[in-house]
Formats: sequence, C-alpha cells, structure tokens
Amino acid sequence: MAALATRHHEFLAAGARLFAITVDSPPQNSFVMTDLALPFPLLSDPDRTNAITPLGFADEKDPRLISRPGSIVVAPGGEETWRYLGRDYADRPQEDLLLDQVAGLGLSAVGQDTPEVGDPVRGPNGTSTKALPTYFRGSKFAALALRGRYRTLGDEFRDDTKLHVQMTDRYIEAISAALERRA
Amino acid sequence: MTVEFTATDAAGNLFRFADFHDAGAVITLHRGDF
Repeated sequence: MAALATRHHEFLAAGARLFAITVDSPPQNSFVMTDLALPFPLLSDPDRTNAITPLGFADEKDPRLISRPGSIVVAPGGEETWRYLGRDYADRPQEDLLLDQVAGLGLSAVGQDTPEVGDPVRGPNGTSTKALPTYFRGSKFAALALRGRYRTLGDEFRDDTKLHVQMTDRYIEAISAALERRA
Repeated sequence: MTVEFTATDAAGNLFRFADFHDAGAVITLHRGDF
C-alpha cells in the first residue's frame, strides 16, 4: 500500500482513484492509514462476504479469512478491464503494470477526497512502519540467498526472485516516503 | 463484468463502490492482519 501511496498522484492524473481492502477492522485500518499516511481509503470486509469473496480474492487455504493480494482495474461505469490475482501472499502486481493498465483506458484526470479515519488501534500482529524496512530487507536477502542456492532451477525461478527483490526495494523506498509524509 | 461491492471505511461508514463509478478506479486487495 505504501508503494501505491507514493504514486497516488500518477493514478489520479491517469484517471483512476485508489481503493484498498483488507479483512482488518476499521480501527486497525485507521491505524495503518495514519501510520502510512495513506491518501486513499483502506476499507474493511472482516468476514469477506461483501467484497473479498464476491470479487474472487478469498484465500480458501488460509484459516484466518485473509484475502489473496491483487488488484482490479475498473473503467468509468464500473466495468472490470484487468485483474491481477496473486499466487500467494508475496505475489503482488507492480505499480508500473497497474499504471500502464489505467493509462490504456485513456481517461481524464480525477480527484479523490482525503479519506476519513476513526480512532486507530494497532492489530495484534501489527508491525510499526519504522520496522518495515528491516522486514523487507530480510525478505529481499532471503530471496537473493535462495536464488544463489538454487541456480539450477532455471529462468522462471531466477525471474521470480528478481521481481521479488525489486518489489522489496520499491517497498523500502515507499516506507521512507511514508515517514516523510507523516512527519 | 461490472464491479460492485460494499465495505466499511476506516471511520465506520458504509462504502459503496457504485458511488464511484463516475471515474476509473484501481481496487487493491491486501492480506491484512496488520
């Protein structure tokens, strides 16, 4: 979400507002929105019945009722034009890819109201924003180590780990930007 | 396929995506547990 937040103005210029959804409660989402200084709404669907399941993103393998990560691009009028459904919790679409899809719709620039938040409450497994760069660096170097260890697995594994490393680098930069927005 | 859903915003208000069909949108889904 932080990486999308840093490019929010580009999405608006291309004609698309951003809306994020999780299973977390509104107070938890208020905490994340405040902590990351998100300029778009983070919406709650705690039992997955109103958005996550109808949109086809429920992770049936996960007992915590979470969503698979992913994105849907929607044209004016509500027509879905493109979607990315993550294979697992670490598989997320690149921001450039999303922007390309929006740009392809040829829309006029749009605005988005500053989202409302309530009283923030950190979730039981919540991680502070300041700790996230360390978290992403750990993920990055684990991927690099595995890529080096399993070179014989071929191009698909090499390319996938490369994308993962690029993702963690973008997220580390985005967290720095979030801390600057918050200051 | 027309995308429609409802959810609750961070302030506790009902959110209807249909209210935002006047422009393009990107809906991003996250695993949460934050």
